[in-house]
Amino acid sequence: MTTPFLHINGIRKTFGDVVATDHVELKIAEGEFMTFLGPSGSGKSTTLYILAGFQEPTAGDILLRGKTLLKTPSHKRNIGMVFQRYTLFPHLSVGENVAFPLRVRRTPADEVQRRVKRALELARLQGFEDRMPANMSGGQQQRVALARALVYDPPVLLMDEPLSALDKKLREEIQHEIRRIHQETGVTILYVTHDQEEALRLSDRIAVFNKGRIEQVGTGPQLYNSPASHFVADFVGDSAFLTAEFTRASGGTADLRFADGTEVRGVPLHGADPKGRAELMLRPERIRLVPQPGAGPSLPVTIADITFLGNVTSILARTSWGEEVGIRLPFGHPMASGLAPGAQTQIEWDAASAHAFAARAH
Amino acid sequence: MLLNFHMLGWWRWALGAVCALVAAFLLLPILFIIALSFGDSRWLIFPPPGWTLKWYEELFSDPRWLDAAFTSFKVAAVVAVLSVILGFLASMALVRGTFRGRAFLRGFFLMPMVMPVVVLAIALYATFLWLGIAGTFVGFVLAHLVIALPFAIIAISGALEGFDKSIEDAAILCGASPWEARLRVTLPSIKHGLFSAAIFSFLISWDEVVLAIFMASPRLQTLPIKVWGTLRQDLSPVIAAASTLLIALTVALMVLAAFTRKGKKQ
Repeated sequence: MTTPFLHINGIRKTFGDVVATDHVELKIAEGEFMTFLGPSGSGKSTTLYILAGFQEPTAGDILLRGKTLLKTPSHKRNIGMVFQRYTLFPHLSVGENVAFPLRVRRTPADEVQRRVKRALELARLQGFEDRMPANMSGGQQQRVALARALVYDPPVLLMDEPLSALDKKLREEIQHEIRRIHQETGVTILYVTHDQEEALRLSDRIAVFNKGRIEQVGTGPQLYNSPASHFVADFVGDSAFLTAEFTRASGGTADLRFADGTEVRGVPLHGADPKGRAELMLRPERIRLVPQPGAGPSLPVTIADITFLGNVTSILARTSWGEEVGIRLPFGHPMASGLAPGAQTQIEWDAASAHAFAARAH
Repeated sequence: MLLNFHMLGWWRWALGAVCALVAAFLLLPILFIIALSFGDSRWLIFPPPGWTLKWYEELFSDPRWLDAAFTSFKVAAVVAVLSVILGFLASMALVRGTFRGRAFLRGFFLMPMVMPVVVLAIALYATFLWLGIAGTFVGFVLAHLVIALPFAIIAISGALEGFDKSIEDAAILCGASPWEARLRVTLPSIKHGLFSAAIFSFLISWDEVVLAIFMASPRLQTLPIKVWGTLRQDLSPVIAAASTLLIALTVALMVLAAFTRKGKKQ
C-alpha cells in the first residue's frame, strides 16, 4: 500500500476531563478538497489546530508524506491557513501582507515581486497592492488572506470557517472563488465548516464530526444517500424521522411497524443494535403525496401546513400519532394542487430511499 | 434626552460660569508663572512692570540648571524606554497568560499607583542605601520606573487586548518564529499603546518631585528638585523660567500623545 499524502492517525486531544477529539483517523490524497463538517464543539477545529501546530495532541500522529509533523514547530511546517477572523496585518499594505511569508523566508526581492503578483492575480486582487486592510471589505480581506496563505506554495492549506463572518451572497461568491483557486493550484485543502451547504458545494470528500469523532467520511452524494448514522442523516440535508418498532432486521435491511400498525418492509438499515425502537428517515423531496396506497411503502397522514417558498412548495404532514413529516414539491407540481390544511392523504416513498436507524437514547 | 444642554434654560449660564471658574482655577497659576518668567521685576511683581528674556539667559548660562535639566531628561528617557519594554513583557503575561494568580499579579503591578508616594519613597530610599545606589543615576531610574510602570502596563495591555491573537498566529503559520511574529506584527499593531506608554512614563519621571527628593544628591539633581531647592534659598524669576520650560515640554508631549491617539482612530 502506498503512503497516504496526509495521514491523521488516531488523534486524541483532551482538555482536563473534556475530550475534544477522539480517534480521529483520516487519509487525505494529494490535491483533495476535504471538509470537516460538524456542529460547534465537535472537534473539527481542534483537529485543524493540531495540524497547524497550535495545539498538541494527547495521542496520535499527523504524517505528511509519511513523516510526522508533530516535531516541527508551527512556523516551520510550511502550511497555509486562512482563519475565521480577519487576520491581515493591519500596519501593512495588501502587497506587503502577501509578501510577508516570502520576506521571513528571505526570498530574493525580484522573486518576491513576481510571486506576490501571481498570488494577487490568483485571488483576483490586481491593483489592490497599496490598499490598507482597514479600507477593504470582509470578503476582500479574506481573499487577501487566501493569497497570503498560497504565496509560498504550501503543500496543505487549512481553512477554518473563513466565510462565517460574511453574508450569504458574498459567501457563495467566494465559495466559487475558492473552488476555482483549488482547481487552478491543485493545493490540498482542509476546510472546516458547520454549514452543510458550504461543505456540499466545495468538497471532494466530507468528514462529518460529532462529539470529537468522525461519524462518516464520504462524498456529498454518499453522505446524503447512505448516511452511516442517525447524526449524519440529520446533519446532512433536511430529513424527517418517524419512530417505529423493528419487527425484523438482518443483512442490511429491516422491517418496521409504526404506531398505527402500518408496516414497511426492506428498509436499508444502518448502524448496530437493530432491536426495539427504530427511527425511519425520509428525505422531504423523496416523498410523494398519493390519494390511495400504491405499490410502495406508504402511511396515512393529515396535511398540517402548506408554505410557498418560491421554486418549491413545502408541505407539513402529520401522522395519526402526531409526528411531523416535511415534504418538498417543485412549484406547480400536480400533487400539490387542490391540497389544503386538514386534508387526509397518503405519503408514499421508494423502499430504497428511506433509512432505518436504531432509535437514539433520549 | 434627560440632560439636554439646550433645554437647561438659564442653568446653561450657571453651568458655563462654573466651568469657566474651574478652568481658571486650573490654568491661571500656570499662565501666571509663564508671565512672570518674562517679567523684568526681580521681586516677581504681578503684573510685570516690563518684559525681558534675561531670566532665560541666566537659566541657560548657569551650568547647574543645565545639568539638572539634562539629568531630568536622561532619567525620563531611560525610564520611558525601560518602562515600555517591561510594560510590554508584563502585558503579554497579563493579557495572554492563563496561569493562576494572574489577577493578583495585575493588582500587584498596579499597586504603586495607589500607594502613598512618600511611603514608597522611604521604602526605596532605605533599600537603595543598603544597595549603595541611593543618589545615583541608576537609583533615580529605578525609583521612577516603579511609579511609571503601572501606567505603561495599563496603556499596553489595553492595546494588546484590542489586538486579535489570531493575527499573530497567522504570522507564525506564514513562517515567522513566535518572537519574530511579535516583533514584526504584534508590536507595530499596538504601536499607539507603546507610544502613549512611553510618553506617560517620560512625563511621570520628568515632573516627579517626592521620590526625587529622596534620590537626589548634591551632585545629581533633576529639574524639579533644582526648582524646589532654589525656591527655598532665594525667590528668583529664574525659577519661573525653569518652570515654564517644564510646562512647555509637558504640553508638547501631551499634544504628541493626543495626535497618536487620533492616528490610531483613523
